[in-house]
Amino acid sequence: MISDGASGAALSTERAEAVLFEEAARLDARAFDAWLELFTDDAIYWLPMGVEDPAREPSLIFDDRARMEERVFRLMDTAAHAQLPPSRTQHDITNVRVVETTADWARVACHLVVHEVRIGDPSQVGLGDVRSFPGRCEYVLRHGAEGQWLIAEKTVRLLARELPQYNLTFIV
Amino acid sequence: MTRSQEHNRVPGQQASQDDDPFPLDDLVLDEPYRFRVDGRVYTDAHLFALEMDRIWRRSWLYVGHESEIREPGDYRTAVLAREPIILSRGEDGGIHAVFNRCMHRGAALCRDDRGHANHFRCPYHNWVYRNDGTLVGMAQKSGYGSHFDTSELDLVPVPRLEAYRGLIFANLDPAAPALQERLGPSAWYIDQWADRSPTGQMSVAEGVHRYSYPGNWKFQLENGVDGYHGNYVHDSFVKILHRAGDRSRQDVVRARNRLGSNASAKGLPRGDGLLEREDGMLGTFDYASRDEYRRSLVEAHGSARLQDILTQRNLLIFPSVYLFESHIRVIRPISPTSTIVDTIPTRIEGIDDAINTERLREHERFFGPSSFGATDDIEIFVLNQTGVQAEVPRWLDFSRGLERERVADNGERIGHSTDEAPQRAIYREWRRMMLSGEGPS
Repeated sequence: MISDGASGAALSTERAEAVLFEEAARLDARAFDAWLELFTDDAIYWLPMGVEDPAREPSLIFDDRARMEERVFRLMDTAAHAQLPPSRTQHDITNVRVVETTADWARVACHLVVHEVRIGDPSQVGLGDVRSFPGRCEYVLRHGAEGQWLIAEKTVRLLARELPQYNLTFIV
Repeated sequence: MTRSQEHNRVPGQQASQDDDPFPLDDLVLDEPYRFRVDGRVYTDAHLFALEMDRIWRRSWLYVGHESEIREPGDYRTAVLAREPIILSRGEDGGIHAVFNRCMHRGAALCRDDRGHANHFRCPYHNWVYRNDGTLVGMAQKSGYGSHFDTSELDLVPVPRLEAYRGLIFANLDPAAPALQERLGPSAWYIDQWADRSPTGQMSVAEGVHRYSYPGNWKFQLENGVDGYHGNYVHDSFVKILHRAGDRSRQDVVRARNRLGSNASAKGLPRGDGLLEREDGMLGTFDYASRDEYRRSLVEAHGSARLQDILTQRNLLIFPSVYLFESHIRVIRPISPTSTIVDTIPTRIEGIDDAINTERLREHERFFGPSSFGATDDIEIFVLNQTGVQAEVPRWLDFSRGLERERVADNGERIGHSTDEAPQRAIYREWRRMMLSGEGPS
């Protein structure tokens, strides 16, 4: 069922956009702890590759909540060389569609382009290039206890997912 | 002309000994208590062209795994020292490797990197070959008349193709020694790797992690057998383990760095090398300690072999492939300053599927393009590539452990786990091949 949001309970496009834009803002501000707060305790953050079966193939990322927390810990609390200097990112979200929604559950699709740059000494190999990562996202959102919408699943199908990747060490 | 102008050549330029801009035998200095490599081996286009001719075109290179082409008609493409090839399983059940190049006007036949086809059809003029390379049809054949000889128009097979324990290698040099002769003592280590399966069979997962980096291929070669960098490059990962509260694993990391620990770095003949640790990876891949799994290995291979099989190793088969606990890692040089690496997770046949799934997740955690491990290594390769642009300081130093390494009867040089014995093996072989004249025509 597709809702226009008029019921007040199902997810409207405007409300879905607000969730996704807030997520993008937190990521781009490197507020990764706050980013985690947007997810349910049983969340999955997934960047699949070709066959989309995590039992048969490696994913670029297949994080459960614990692995997501590990990822954030690495970014916030360790000196990971691949993030020295850190990535500056901009998450552009378009084509937001509420695909399916009930009063407490919704599936949302959107397009995403993440632009990334690491500055440091831009004359050095590997720094100073602006890279762009287009992809299509699918979110499953759930109504939290206090009425807010939380992200239960975030799946990003990068356009270039099977091609060689040069370090994807920021959060897509 | 300055030195840097002299050797600043166009990539891909045909190289020969006659126009060497600097003496090749001065690039690797193997002296008592000191081993050094000239920084230009990572930057120079002329040397890169020579490496392709003299090393890559004459070495046994890993091109695929038998499990990727299980059924007649299965194929996958690969690159053999920059030449496109097709690896296929024929109707006869045999493995074939031919160049991915139509015999008519040279178009590539396969666009997909893997698939199933009993015939390859050239899209240009509809010449058709069986998947073993035999020409079986040409469009409007009568136009060639009755005297045209088609007997030499089958797809050209790759000169040499051999497999060992499921690993398929090819060689462009028709005069190369047999694969097993070339592998020498490395074959024993491959046996231990494959026998992590109670059936003795490994297979590969369906997907491949590919990464590229703007740096020389040899940085990846050096690093996979480097036991010196772990605590520093992977400090972030060690902190992740600390956070997980795994005190015992921290102790393992510390113990490994003491002399006399049960870990070592080895340089083998022909450039191969390995890093081995009886106590496993840094807090990962714990499946090896499970009773049920160990029992299945004892049943299949005998208890005497258990420790040898379960010793964790990074094994380099020079110059193209590593066998790691979780994956096969294939190195593909693109230019002096560009490299593509495929890390292909393995599945251990004959064990609980859940273990293989768990191995995939651990693989993503440490080795994937978004991982908490390999990404930091790649950053170091790029720091390396930046640094070696400085040519006034000429040398990189690989002397660590020269004084304490031990030479075994079979030619293995065995060092402490943090020693540079494997890197010296790489550069001894690099130097030998680079000095040994022209590659095959």
